[in-house]
Amino acid sequence: MNKYDVVIAGGGAVGAACAYFLSRDTDLKIALVDLKKSGNASRASAGGLWAIGESVGLGCGVIFFKTLSKLHSEAKGEEVPTMRPHQLPDCFFEFALKSNDMYPDLYEELRTKHDVDFKFERTGLKFIMYNREDELYADQIVSGIPHLSDQIRWLDAEQLKSEEPYVTPDAIGAIDFICDHQVNPYRLVEAYTEAARQNGVELFLNTEIQSVLKEGNRVVGLKTASGDLHCDTLVNATGAWANELYKQATGKDMPVYPVKGQIVLSERMPKIMNGCISTSDCYIAQKDNGEILIGSSTEEKGFDTTNSLDKIQELSRGAMKCLPILNESNIKRCWAGLRPGTPDELPILGKVSGVEGYLNACGHFRTGILTSAITGKLITELVTEQPTSIDLTPFNVSRFDNDPT
Amino acid sequence: MKKSNPVVIVGGGPSGTAAAAMLGKYQIPSIIIDETSKIGGVIYRGPLRNTATLPHLDDNLQRAMSALRTRYEKHKSFIELKLQTRVLGPEGDQHLLLSEGGGLTTLEHNELILATGCHERSVPFPGWQLPGVMLLGGVQLQIKSGLVKPGSKMALLGTGPLLPLVACQLHKAGVDVVGVYEASAFNKLAKEAVALLHKPKLTLNGLSMMSYLKKHQILFHYGYGIVSAQGDKYLEQVSVAPYDDQWRPDRSQAKPLDVDAIGVGYGFVARTQLAMLLGIEHDYSKVSGYIPKLDDNYQSSQKNTYVVGDSSGLLGADAAICEGQIAALNIVHQRGLLDSATMEKERRKIERKHARIKRFRFGFDRFSARQTGLLDLPQDDTVVCRCEQATKKQLTDAIAEGVKDLTTLKMRTRIGMGDCQGKTCSSYALDLLHQAGHDKNTGVIKPRFPLDPIPFTFMEETLNEQV
Repeated sequence: MNKYDVVIAGGGAVGAACAYFLSRDTDLKIALVDLKKSGNASRASAGGLWAIGESVGLGCGVIFFKTLSKLHSEAKGEEVPTMRPHQLPDCFFEFALKSNDMYPDLYEELRTKHDVDFKFERTGLKFIMYNREDELYADQIVSGIPHLSDQIRWLDAEQLKSEEPYVTPDAIGAIDFICDHQVNPYRLVEAYTEAARQNGVELFLNTEIQSVLKEGNRVVGLKTASGDLHCDTLVNATGAWANELYKQATGKDMPVYPVKGQIVLSERMPKIMNGCISTSDCYIAQKDNGEILIGSSTEEKGFDTTNSLDKIQELSRGAMKCLPILNESNIKRCWAGLRPGTPDELPILGKVSGVEGYLNACGHFRTGILTSAITGKLITELVTEQPTSIDLTPFNVSRFDNDPT
Repeated sequence: MKKSNPVVIVGGGPSGTAAAAMLGKYQIPSIIIDETSKIGGVIYRGPLRNTATLPHLDDNLQRAMSALRTRYEKHKSFIELKLQTRVLGPEGDQHLLLSEGGGLTTLEHNELILATGCHERSVPFPGWQLPGVMLLGGVQLQIKSGLVKPGSKMALLGTGPLLPLVACQLHKAGVDVVGVYEASAFNKLAKEAVALLHKPKLTLNGLSMMSYLKKHQILFHYGYGIVSAQGDKYLEQVSVAPYDDQWRPDRSQAKPLDVDAIGVGYGFVARTQLAMLLGIEHDYSKVSGYIPKLDDNYQSSQKNTYVVGDSSGLLGADAAICEGQIAALNIVHQRGLLDSATMEKERRKIERKHARIKRFRFGFDRFSARQTGLLDLPQDDTVVCRCEQATKKQLTDAIAEGVKDLTTLKMRTRIGMGDCQGKTCSSYALDLLHQAGHDKNTGVIKPRFPLDPIPFTFMEETLNEQV
């Protein structure tokens, strides 16, 4: 019989990180089960480690929450309601920043000990301002996070031009989050996975999960296409599909649902960007092989992963406005991924009361790449019954207990 | 449904044109979309410039080309041609996004026939990226459509009936053909004699090609194949060696041939990118790669979407014509312009012809069945995905590390992430995974929108819907 201490369901960034940290820090017998599904968010991701950017609603969140400049242009002279940047709660800042801090060492460790390279690049994330409204918005962002002022640089038009010469001369300046960087997202997943394998984790790749095995209120394993995998602890890291497994494990529903994001990719270009960029229209990142990645839409359309011209046009126009040189390039590929969304945009982590042998590691919405590292560490701490590096109360699924949705 | 809605046909080759002609016969309008400037498909398109004589092209080909033209001419009042137009993918419900005339348009479809043909199966070996190394169909296209000589001193290597055909065409075009190397042994062909008798005329054609080669002292070697290609900047030499029944070369008997170009032809792959992007279900077949699941009328898992010709499985042009006609007949029937009895009668006639072609073709498929020896031609450092420069070793290492499917292999090695979207490398990668025993849910390099790169500047235009 296949008996493990821990079975991890889902081999995206979060599941693979759990496998890596558990195998690095314990002697437990671990299995990772994964099936590549269409829309898998880790593969679709841009790979931004935008700890501050994402926490204040830029980067991947920028389209979700319209900036002042957008509201003004859409209002066409009408009164614009006062609004604040969409800032996530302090517990999320702590979660994101702690994870972000882990990357430099993690990068070295995976490279030197396991010979895998996830292309960590120190880029910063610049919010480009085109007009007075953008500047007001940037002001609000900065005043909302006084404790992080040392991580923010203001760039005037001249400075921006010297640092990012390909950005449109129409830009009036930028704020730069200096601790926000980027990785290659699928290389990160493959790096965690390969390092975990080298550490002895058994990989059940391309293996379908059929059901959760239970005995009373205890989860005892997974039934898979490769047979039953018994375990003491099951970690649910199945991304946008997490509720399916949760339901089988607990008999209840939790609010994790797919939030579609479309991405546009250019052909390879010479290096035209020194850092990652967010504007009020989109985010833009030049990846390690020269391709320019432009994202992303925010749509609730179930598990649909088709591309649509309206969103691709929106993103492309936003990127061409910022980087006119894109007029000389082609769109090579587009795709769509499914972020595992939750109503409060916080992940769902840890134990479920009344159910033994089960841990949630899901609901990472738009920051699964960034927060995979801390999640792997936290899950390891939970499995080994150590105190956790951060307080997990705000992330427990019980926060939805009285929520009718 | 209004009867006047045109049927949209993607691909103006033998099957697409035959479908349009059959629809025209029943006065149903259709639109043929083709990426080139002429209908006929790769096989029957002919020269892309006007020319009076084509002495290097044989009479059979010229007859087939004019037959296709005649079918089109007879019904052309019902057929609208959209040439030099590329389908970039589906756009919303029941629409295709097209790139034509320097911009984007959409085209609505009720009934859709995909007749997108096939592309060549690329087989990597050391030196395969040298200028002068070409795939066999590409060589043929240069003589047939480009009207240029692909080389002056050439060898052909591969398997199947295209080898002698192209050898004859090259010789007639004035190329010095130094040898033709068929991977399978002659006795394997002899075993298929019964199958080949299903199309006696084609078999005779084959025999006459063989005697043409003999007469002109072009040696045809059975049980031989490519080992590697060498050259400084261009191809200068290839090594060929005897193949065993698994197509493993006996390198100890490898001999060099001085050439400036070669044609390599180990088969074709159904061109299914659009069908996949439309979400049509596919199955894997060893001969054709992934092919759509179809009913007897060539209708796919999506209602009113048909897939015909080589894109539904490789059977060649004659079978493709039959398939286009059957799909069209079904549409005629669905539109209430043909009663069941008549349609069945018509269909059975075409099906009988199709079945004969199939039996003949299956004989050659068995003879040319791809053997695992080909997988070991590349060395560790041989690039197998040329867009992303992924080497064979990167692939075999990833598989040794537990990768069991194409998607994970892509994430690990970047194979298939380049401009060609895996058309060149994915067949080889799939064969490698299958050889390692991973034949369940092995997956595909998923085609991505847009199927061809589009300029960013197109994104600034507003879209015109065509009526």
